[in-house]
Amino acid sequence: MTGEVERYLVIAAGMFILGAIGFLTRRNLILIFLSAELMMHGIGLTFVTFGRMHFSNEGQVMNILALTVAACEAGFGLALILGLFQLTRSLDIELWTDLRELDLPAPVSPDDLTSIELPEEQKFPTLTPAGRLPEIPKRPVVIKRNSTTPKT
Amino acid sequence: MSHTVLWLIPLAPLIAAALIALLGPKFLREKSHIPCVTALLTSFVCSLVLLIQLVPQGFGNHGHNTAVLASGYDFLTVGSLRTTISLSADAMTAIMLSMVTGVSSLVALFAAGYMHGDKGYARFFAEVSLFVFSMCLLVLADNFVMLFIGWEAVGLCSYLLIGFWFQKPSAAAAAKKAFVVNRIGDFGLLLGIFLIWTTFGSVSFADVLGHPEKITEIATANPGLITTICLLLFLGAAGKSAQFPLHVWLPDAMEGPTPVSALIHAATMVTAGVYLVARCTPLFIASPEAQITVAVIGGITALLAALIALTQNDLKRVLAYSTVSQLAYLFIGLGAAAGLESATPAVSAAMFHLFTHAFFKALLFLAAGSVMHSMGDVIDMRRFGGLRKVLPVTHWTFLCGALALAGFPLLSGFWSKDEILGVLSEAGHHPVHGGVFVVLYWTASVTALLTAFYTFRAYFMTFWGPEKFPEEAGHHPHDASSIMAWPLRILAVAAIVIGGVVGPTGFFGHYLHHTQGFPESGPHTLHFGVMILSGFLAMAGIALAWFLYVKSPSIPGQLATSVHPLYALSYHRFYLDEIYLALIVSPLRLIAKLAGLFDTVVIAGIVGAVSRIPQIISVIPRSLHHGLVPSYAMVMFVSVIAGLLYVISYLR
Repeated sequence: MTGEVERYLVIAAGMFILGAIGFLTRRNLILIFLSAELMMHGIGLTFVTFGRMHFSNEGQVMNILALTVAACEAGFGLALILGLFQLTRSLDIELWTDLRELDLPAPVSPDDLTSIELPEEQKFPTLTPAGRLPEIPKRPVVIKRNSTTPKT
Repeated sequence: MSHTVLWLIPLAPLIAAALIALLGPKFLREKSHIPCVTALLTSFVCSLVLLIQLVPQGFGNHGHNTAVLASGYDFLTVGSLRTTISLSADAMTAIMLSMVTGVSSLVALFAAGYMHGDKGYARFFAEVSLFVFSMCLLVLADNFVMLFIGWEAVGLCSYLLIGFWFQKPSAAAAAKKAFVVNRIGDFGLLLGIFLIWTTFGSVSFADVLGHPEKITEIATANPGLITTICLLLFLGAAGKSAQFPLHVWLPDAMEGPTPVSALIHAATMVTAGVYLVARCTPLFIASPEAQITVAVIGGITALLAALIALTQNDLKRVLAYSTVSQLAYLFIGLGAAAGLESATPAVSAAMFHLFTHAFFKALLFLAAGSVMHSMGDVIDMRRFGGLRKVLPVTHWTFLCGALALAGFPLLSGFWSKDEILGVLSEAGHHPVHGGVFVVLYWTASVTALLTAFYTFRAYFMTFWGPEKFPEEAGHHPHDASSIMAWPLRILAVAAIVIGGVVGPTGFFGHYLHHTQGFPESGPHTLHFGVMILSGFLAMAGIALAWFLYVKSPSIPGQLATSVHPLYALSYHRFYLDEIYLALIVSPLRLIAKLAGLFDTVVIAGIVGAVSRIPQIISVIPRSLHHGLVPSYAMVMFVSVIAGLLYVISYLR
C-alpha cells in the first residue's frame, strides 16, 4: 500500500513544480493563470492522498471546497484578464509594470510597442433603470393602401 | 428643598443648547429662540422657587444657615484632592441666580427680534443657552474647581459671542483679545486655587470658607499666605471683571451683537469676578492688605474708565466704559470691608449695586441695540441725533436706564450707589486704614458726578438736538418691534423700582446675611448725608450735560480744542492699548519671530538631514523593484521555500 500513496504524492509534486515553473517563466496572462490552477490541483491531489492515507474524508471535503473557490476565482481572474486585454489588446504580462519604482525604466521600451487601432465601440442594448418610464420606440405601422381610386 | 429644582437651573439651558446646536440649523431655523427662551424661563422660575424656599425662617435673625446641597458624582480624585460635581445654593447664590436668569430671559426675548434674519440665528441661541448654563454652574458651584470650570466656560462663550460675526476682522481680533487678557486673570485664579488646596487641603467652599476660626489661625501663623491667595484670586476677578491693568478687553468686546453686550459684558459674566471676591469674603477678611488693594484698584479703574467715557463717540463704548467704572465701584465697596467692624455691610452694598446695575445696564445696552437696529447698525453718536420723536419706546426706556445709572434720587442706582458711598464714608473713620478710604470716598463721588455727566452726554447726543439719520438707516427708521419693546419696558420698570423696593427696606441686606460664612453685623442704616451729596452730584452731572449738549452745543468743541492734550488723553483711552502694544505685545512678537526663525533653520534642518538617511540607504534595494510580476512571484517562491526548509530543519 505504501508504494501507491507515494506514487500519488510524486504526481502531485510534479504537477506543483510544473505549475510553478510555468508560473515563473510564461509571459502570457492566461497561461500564467493556467499554471496557477495546475499548482492548486497538485495540492488538491495531496490533500486527497493524505486523506486516503489516514482513512478520513476530510481531504476530499477540503478539495471540493477548494474546487468551489477555484471556480469562482477563475471567473473573477479571467474577467480581470479580459479587462486588461481590452486596455492593451495584448496578453503580455511585461506590459503591466506599474508597481515599479517610478524612476526605473520600463522593461519594454516604448519603441518596441506598436500602436493598433481599437474597433469602434459597440452599443449594447441595456435595460431601463427601475422606476423610470422606458423610452418606447415607435413601432412600424402598416399603411393601408386604398384599393379604390379617389373619385375625380 | 427638592433637588430637582436645583439641578434644573443649570440643566435646562444646557439641554436647550444641545437641542438648538443639533436641530437648529436644519429644523428649528427661525424658531431657534423658542427652546432657549423656554429653558431660560424655566431656570428663572426655579431660581425664584429657590429664592423663596431658601430662607423660610423670616428675616432679621442672623442664623448660621448652611447651604443647600445637591451632590452629584466624583469628578476628579487625585491623591487627597477630591472634587465632586455637586451644587450648593445659599442666599448669595439665589440672588445671583434670579438676577442672571431673569435678565438673560429678557435679553433672549429681545434678541429674538434683534437677531431676526441673521445667518447664525440658531448658533446665537445655542451659544447664549450654553452661556447661561455656564454662568449658573459658576454660581452654583460647590467648590473652587467647579467654579473654575464654570469660569472658563463663560470665558469660552464670551469668546464665541464676541466673535459671533467672525467674518469681520475687528470682531475676530476683539474675541482673541478678550480671550488672551482673560487668560492672564485665569492663570491667577488657578494659582490661587492651587494655593488654597495646599493650605486648606480641600477646595470645597464649605471646608475652606465655612470655618472662620481656622482662617484666622492660618492668617496669624503665616500672614503672607492668605494675602497671596486673596491677591491671586483678585487677579482672576480683575481679568473677568475688567479691572485696571486688564480692563482693555471689555470695550473691544462691543464688537459682538448688542444683546450679547447687554447680557455678558454688562449684566452677568463680568460680575463673576465680583461674585468670586464676595464669595471669598471670609478669606479677604483675614487680609486687610488684599482688601485695600481691591479697593484701590477699584478706585483707579472707576476714575480712569469714567474719564475715558467722557469723550467716546461710540454709544456702546460709552456704556462699556461705564460698565468698567461701575464694576470698579463694586470692588471699591468690597474692599471697604477692611475699614469696617464687620465685612457684611460692605459686601452686601457691593452685591446690591451688582444686582441693580445688572438691570439698568442691560436696559441701557438693549436700548442702544434698539437704536443701532433702527439706524442701520450705525453706532457713532455724531451721525444721528434727535431720535426721541422717532423712537419713543427706546427713548423713554433709555432715559429710565440713564437716570438709574446716573444715580438720580429714588431710582435703583441711587440706592445702591448710596450704600457703597455710605460704607466708604464709614470706613473713612477707621483708625489705621481711614486715610485710604477718605481718598476713595472722594474718588467715588467724583466718579458719580462723571457717570451722571457722560451718561447724559450720550443720552442728549442721541435723543436730543436736531433730528438727523445716517444714510444706512433708510428713510423711515422704525421703533422697536413689540418683541424688542417688551423686554425694554420690563427692564425699565425694574431699573426704576427694584432698588427702592429691596434696598432701603433692608430686604436685600437681611437676605444676603444668610450667606455661608458671613460675619455678624449690626442693623441696616441709611446714610442721609451721603444720600443728599450723591443726589446733588447726580443732578449736577445731568444739568452740566444738558447745558453743554442741549443749551449751547458749541462749547464742547471749544473745550476739546482749548485743552487738547487732556482731551486726546481721554479720547485715546490714556494710550493704554498703545502702551501694552509697545511693552508686551511687540516684545512677544519679536520672540515669536526669533522662535519661528529657529524652527525653520535649526529644527527643520535637523529633520531634513534625518530624512535623507533612508533615501541614501534605499538606493540598492530600489533597483529590485522593476515591476515585473514573475520576478515578484520568484521572490515569493524562494522565500516560501526558505521558510519551509527552516521549519523542517527544526522538525527533525
